[in-house]
Amino acid sequence: MPQVPLNLYLELSAVLFIIGVIGFLLRRNPITMLMAIELMWNAGNLAFIAFARNFIDMSGQVFAFLVITVAAAEAAIALAIVVMVFRRRENADVDDISVMRG
Amino acid sequence: MADFFLGAVPLILLFPLIGAATIAFFGPYAHRSASAFIGCLSIGLSFVLTVGAALVILPLSPAQQAIYAHSNFVGYWAHLPPDLIISFRLLIDPLSLLWMLIITGVGLLIHVYSVGYMASDKNYRTFFAYMNLFVFTMLLLVMADNFLWLLVGWGGVGLASYLLIGFNYDRPVAVLAARKALIMNVIGDVGIMIAMFLMYAHVGSVAYQNVFGHVSQIGTSALTWIGVWLLLGAVAKSAQLPLQTWLPDAMEGPTPVSALIHAATMVTAGVYLIARAHPIYDNAPAAAELVAVIGGVTALFAATIGCVQYDIKRVLAYSTMSQIGYMILAVGVGAYAAGAFHFMTHAFFKALLFMSAGIVIHALGGEQDIRKMGGLAARLPFAYWTFLVGTVAIAGIFPFAGFFSKDAVVDAVLNSHHPWLFVLAVITAGLTGFYMFRLVFLTFLTGAYRGDHEVHAQTERTMTVPVAILAVLSLIGGWIVLPHHDELSVMLSSTFGDARLPQSMAEFSGALSLGLLLIAVAGIAFAWIAYQWRPQIAAAFHRSLGGLHALLSNAYYFDTIYHWLFEWPVLAFAQWLRDAFEVDAIDSLPALALRAGGYFASLSNRWETGYLRRYGLTFVVGAVLLLFIYLFVAHGAAVGAAP
Repeated sequence: MPQVPLNLYLELSAVLFIIGVIGFLLRRNPITMLMAIELMWNAGNLAFIAFARNFIDMSGQVFAFLVITVAAAEAAIALAIVVMVFRRRENADVDDISVMRG
Repeated sequence: MADFFLGAVPLILLFPLIGAATIAFFGPYAHRSASAFIGCLSIGLSFVLTVGAALVILPLSPAQQAIYAHSNFVGYWAHLPPDLIISFRLLIDPLSLLWMLIITGVGLLIHVYSVGYMASDKNYRTFFAYMNLFVFTMLLLVMADNFLWLLVGWGGVGLASYLLIGFNYDRPVAVLAARKALIMNVIGDVGIMIAMFLMYAHVGSVAYQNVFGHVSQIGTSALTWIGVWLLLGAVAKSAQLPLQTWLPDAMEGPTPVSALIHAATMVTAGVYLIARAHPIYDNAPAAAELVAVIGGVTALFAATIGCVQYDIKRVLAYSTMSQIGYMILAVGVGAYAAGAFHFMTHAFFKALLFMSAGIVIHALGGEQDIRKMGGLAARLPFAYWTFLVGTVAIAGIFPFAGFFSKDAVVDAVLNSHHPWLFVLAVITAGLTGFYMFRLVFLTFLTGAYRGDHEVHAQTERTMTVPVAILAVLSLIGGWIVLPHHDELSVMLSSTFGDARLPQSMAEFSGALSLGLLLIAVAGIAFAWIAYQWRPQIAAAFHRSLGGLHALLSNAYYFDTIYHWLFEWPVLAFAQWLRDAFEVDAIDSLPALALRAGGYFASLSNRWETGYLRRYGLTFVVGAVLLLFIYLFVAHGAAVGAAP
């Protein structure tokens, strides 16, 4: 079975990450932005696992699990915030929520 | 038994400390009588152990008394490079034993008296904690075997005195008086410290043994300076000229405090210091001369002021100052044993006077002005008779205690060939009789009661019993020095063996004793004529004094002089600094820092837009920039070389 080279994994990871960044910057719906962030997390995970496979080192696998856990926690908190904001303002457009201006 | 009491000597010091700590930490959780009980118990145990130690040590031969004192209680404290080793040792010799007996004995009586006297005070527990703390520090002062630990005790009694003068902290007068006493005392502490530096410079040690053993190797001029600096400490603590002004104000403290600290024990620490340092003064005649002059002048100075004061406690304060002047005079002319003897009798009759006066003040609801008393003998007979015993004793009437000790002091002054100091001492003896009996007549006799407070005659047992004991001691206390039975001279001979005036205190020269007695009686007679027999004479007398009366009433204007000499310049300088510097120079610095901070904040403010996506963009741009720097600037060569 032909080995998929490391380069391809890393390129896929970079593409995923850039899609995530662009999604985060261009979309104004917080739910979509959260999905973009998830995309970036998983781009990182893909790179971790690709390296772990390539160097036969379990550290990368372990890190991927850690990232999944943190990402879940982050998503829970962020969704809670979004729900609270939506209840209060009947709207969740991030450009309308700029009360934290300095 | 002997070993037990010698081994228990550190406990004498520890019990009052344990008592103070126990009351301070656990007193609030128990009934207030528990604090009083612990306070009295700790001093009582110390007293019993002190008596035991005295009974063991005093029968020994003089040389053994010294050995016991020095060899038993060794503790290593500090080693300051290069060669100053300070050990924590207790010195128990006849001199410190005498002081310990008075501190714990009279201290116990005054603690018991306080149980009744302070009964209605809201800070009852605190009072006993402070009193125990005082006894601990005072014992430390007299039991130390080197000047450093003496100074620790010295500062400690100053602290306890400060706390107790300001005990009624809601009265501004009391707080000011406490502050004044502390400042004056600290001047004296600095004097002792400088004396210690000089000792270390010349001997390399501050332990009594080493310093006194090498006295002959120190030059006379250095020794004189050590004596003068020690004297500064003694003068401040014992309220002698020119640092005397704090003692009358210290009467703001509760009356038991005045009796214990500002009459019987703490103010005599100066006498103890000079008696303890007698090898220095024996070899520095100029310093000893200064000691004698200050003592003699203060004795007369304070007695004259006492003649015109109207506050019962202030009169007693000035008489304390005057009697301590006698003691300082005695130790100044080299009659250390006579000074210690007068300290002992004075502790009895002055504590008695203060406590009887306390009964009067208690009965009159806090009134201290003798112009609002009068005729109290019939209503407060117990206070009258005990006060009378104290007055007769302090006036030096045979056979009361004061007669013997004052005779010993004046006799020593006469033998020391200081004619004018002798004259001062004799005049003071007459004045003492006058002002003390003036106090008796105005307070207890002379017509009817002039005040408007009701007289509450009932007095508690805890107050009367200690007073009665002290009254007995004021009568018999002097009999310790009788011809052929001169116990005190024998007791102190091992300490002052080579002092300049080693003669026995029991050698009465008939003419001197009789003359002194007659002068005291003359003073009493004059007080009787002026205040009892023909009161109009007193009024005419006051008028005829004119300006002198004002001078005496204001204590020679020392407070005013010190105010303009020391207080005012400092306050004026501080005011000037505040007006000129603080507002313009110092206050503007923080304001400048504030403005600078505000400016930088306004710069960075613009980045804080509140738009989430703009933050995200900034973050991405920053991350890309960092990555760029990392890859192409910092590690440019390495990345470029990779395939």
